[in-house]
Amino acid sequence: MRKLLILALILVMVVGTGSLASARQTKQITFWHIQVTGTGPELIQQAVDRYMADNPDVEVEVVPMQNDPYKTRIRTAMGAGDAPCVFMSWGGGPLYEYVQSEQVLDLTPYMMEDDYYTRFLPASLSNVTFDEKIWGVPVENTAVAVIFYNKQIFEDYGLDVPATWDELLEVAQTLIDNGIAPFSLANKTKWTSSMYYMYLVDRLGGPEVFASAANRTGGSFEDPVFVQAGEMVQQLVEMGGFNEGFNGLDYDTGQGRMLMYANQAAMELMGSWEASNFLAENEEFFNDSLGVFPFPAVEGGAGDPSNVVGTVGDNYYHISPTCEYPDEAFQMLQYLIDDESVALRVEAGRIPPVVGVADMIEDPMLSQIMGIVENAASVQLWYDQYLPPELGEVHKDVMQALFGLELTPEEAAAQHEEAVAEYFGQ
Amino acid sequence: MNSMASVRETGQVGRWRLLPRLNADTLTIFLFLLPTLVLIGIFVIWPIVNSFQLSFYKWNGIAPTREFIEFDNWSRLLRDDIFVKAFRNNLVVVSLSIAIQMPIGMGLAVLLDQGGRFFLFRLFKTIYFFPMLMSSVAIGILFKYIYDPSFGLINPALEAVGLDSWTRAWLGNTDTSLYAVIAVICWQYTPFYMVLFLAALTSVPEELRDASLIDGAGEGRYYWHIALPLVSGTVRTAIILSLIGSLKYFDLIWVMTEGGPSNSSELMATYMYKKAFPSFEVGYGSTVASALFIIVMGLAVFMLLFTRRFETEV
Repeated sequence: MRKLLILALILVMVVGTGSLASARQTKQITFWHIQVTGTGPELIQQAVDRYMADNPDVEVEVVPMQNDPYKTRIRTAMGAGDAPCVFMSWGGGPLYEYVQSEQVLDLTPYMMEDDYYTRFLPASLSNVTFDEKIWGVPVENTAVAVIFYNKQIFEDYGLDVPATWDELLEVAQTLIDNGIAPFSLANKTKWTSSMYYMYLVDRLGGPEVFASAANRTGGSFEDPVFVQAGEMVQQLVEMGGFNEGFNGLDYDTGQGRMLMYANQAAMELMGSWEASNFLAENEEFFNDSLGVFPFPAVEGGAGDPSNVVGTVGDNYYHISPTCEYPDEAFQMLQYLIDDESVALRVEAGRIPPVVGVADMIEDPMLSQIMGIVENAASVQLWYDQYLPPELGEVHKDVMQALFGLELTPEEAAAQHEEAVAEYFGQ
Repeated sequence: MNSMASVRETGQVGRWRLLPRLNADTLTIFLFLLPTLVLIGIFVIWPIVNSFQLSFYKWNGIAPTREFIEFDNWSRLLRDDIFVKAFRNNLVVVSLSIAIQMPIGMGLAVLLDQGGRFFLFRLFKTIYFFPMLMSSVAIGILFKYIYDPSFGLINPALEAVGLDSWTRAWLGNTDTSLYAVIAVICWQYTPFYMVLFLAALTSVPEELRDASLIDGAGEGRYYWHIALPLVSGTVRTAIILSLIGSLKYFDLIWVMTEGGPSNSSELMATYMYKKAFPSFEVGYGSTVASALFIIVMGLAVFMLLFTRRFETEV
């Protein structure tokens, strides 16, 4: 009797799964993204829902993930030959690593169809264009590093927004004399300090200095520009330009912003996404005190002071070559960045990287940031995302040591150069 | 003749069986062990073998091809200053963990064993065990705030008692970051050893205690000369557990400092993770993992042999 029961159970299971399988005759697309904060999940879901309503034969499985676990999971999935149909990246070096490992589908034919690519800001496509092919679709946001500052504190001490580095140092000195840390920095996270260095390099030498050093087209990380940027960073550190113990503070748990809220720090150089963090965490502070200005010019520097460091696009979406339905997947991606999605993103306080987005923005701070981006002669992608992952990690470690005064600017430059030269087998 | 006959009858020479007798029992035992063996094989043995294999390749973890580079990764490891530093940091964690957690754990266990009859002590037992019940990540984030130089608890407390010169950016300073995390590790794990020792102390027969007290030993001498030697087997187990745990330690360091600043609190396990994942160097990461395996295995075996004379039945 019991055996019969077990047999019957097994039969039910087999038949059950069989019928399930037959019900799944629709086209399956798996989609991994990391838009898990704020309105992120809804922004994705509404587009996917509209796509599925128009295409009932396709079923899209949306899998949202946290930022850092995602980095490990996507690589494990790719290594196991089990990558999702649609996945995200930040473009730059890691994406190129995926491309070289044959994990990304060439999207050029899709992007060229009806000149679809002209919809996007050119700077947004440069992060996903390698070997003259386009490998991804920019969707989410424009994120450039700008200086957020506390207007109240500036008012209290009669300070003006600095237009040059020397003016910035004067402002910093006044703040230090009054017991306020000029800049808040949470540098356990490491890429946070890199922003100062990237801007100084760009202001001193222009974007070519980094590009030629990183792409090994005649440049070197031991170029005097890198050394000088390191010296300027250390000058700021030594005068007390940052809060105490910054190398132990975690950006991800908000230890940097806490100093801003407590009026213990007056400025923070951070990606423009920080505006929405300020808004979500402390609306009063955002409305009453928060202002923003571009990184100041450096006197005598060769770089155009309108240049910015950041990314136009932020999250890019790619299709895996193992995807069974690439045409459908690309159509779905188009829903993510169609006019309706763009309008919703702008409403949510983002700047999607499409042409004409500036006219849609009403929030004064966002339009100010958008103005900075539109005026920029060039956009330097974050070094740690531009460089191959291995070198990106070296860069971040060097930054932490440079800011911690454990390396001289010359040593920092030499460590960069050594790692890059070794990587490219020179 | 007699012995030959007995060999023929039982299939044994002395204590050693020549062939395992495949009777129903053996088969049953084997079948019952099979699921465990399969699981251990797939999830423990095979990954270890696999990482050793990967340590001879240059591979980013996702490419379809990997390049065989013989011992390049291993020679790089031996020349790698950061790995050497990580190993040294691990030794610091091992020695401080054992030196701090064992005595405090034992002290608390003795106190609780003494006063176990009173309600208050049972309450303390639960309270002392709390750190062990919290997730490491939660503890890490909690202590990150406690160590915060501007808003934390430690620096203001030091200032309040006039020790201004002692205030530090505990996690942001290369001289203190490792010790700051070790303090938290000890806070988290001491209760574990306390419970272990308490269980051992409770299992010491009551008569021994009564007899020694009647003989005029006193509480102190009872614990030092009678109870402690009787639980030395547990102490040995605890030390080996702590040794292995400290050598492959990862979580609090990762949450609190990520091995930084500037590798000052780097451990072998955090270095392995950094290489294998964020840097896309799975080949070299596997080399670090394999070296970690060899070191932990070697030290654990050495400790087991070295402390064999302390083995008791408790």
